Amino acid sequence: MVAFVLYIIRALKGPTISDQVLAIDAMSYDLAAFLVVLSIFFREPILIGTAVVLALWIYALDIYVAKYLEKKEVGE
Amino acid sequence: MIEDVLVIIGMIMIGVGAVADLIAAIGMNRFKNFYLRLHAATIGTIWGAFVPLVGAALVATGCYCLGSYRWFVAGGAIVTAFLVLILAPAGSHALARATHRSGLVKVEPCVVDHLNEEMCVKEG
Repeated sequence: MVAFVLYIIRALKGPTISDQVLAIDAMSYDLAAFLVVLSIFFREPILIGTAVVLALWIYALDIYVAKYLEKKEVGE
Repeated sequence: MIEDVLVIIGMIMIGVGAVADLIAAIGMNRFKNFYLRLHAATIGTIWGAFVPLVGAALVATGCYCLGSYRWFVAGGAIVTAFLVLILAPAGSHALARATHRSGLVKVEPCVVDHLNEEMCVKEG
């Protein structure tokens, strides 16, 4: 839990946009792992689908931000 | 018997993941530079997300408390672990390459930079 708070601190105060995106990245991958653990802990198998979707969306965020920084456009 | 072994190994892996996650978050706040923070991010994604996902899959396989859904949970955890293992280094690499190309962050403790000499900040 302390780790999430520290990641959020870096995500909010990061000097450049890359720092913020990197912190949100690491935090969200850890959040996906935490969701799987919660799904075992609460005996709710339906929570497992959210972890897969979260990992894929965070990869999409990475690629979009990288493309924007390189070309200064989002593209299609 | 084998189920207890699976649950214990999975619990150990989840504990290792929690500790690695805390270390990565501390490192994310202690390092000075974006390129140095990439090391902490790598620890946080591989040791902090991939290892506990595999551990959760082992726990779900060995635990009868989930009923017939335990193979579903274990398979979902394995798929998520594989996706994190493939996508997290690719995303970090794309982000670092874009940051270096756009000249957003200077390479601070630098010995030599063949890509762009102006980005290199020599010590002293």
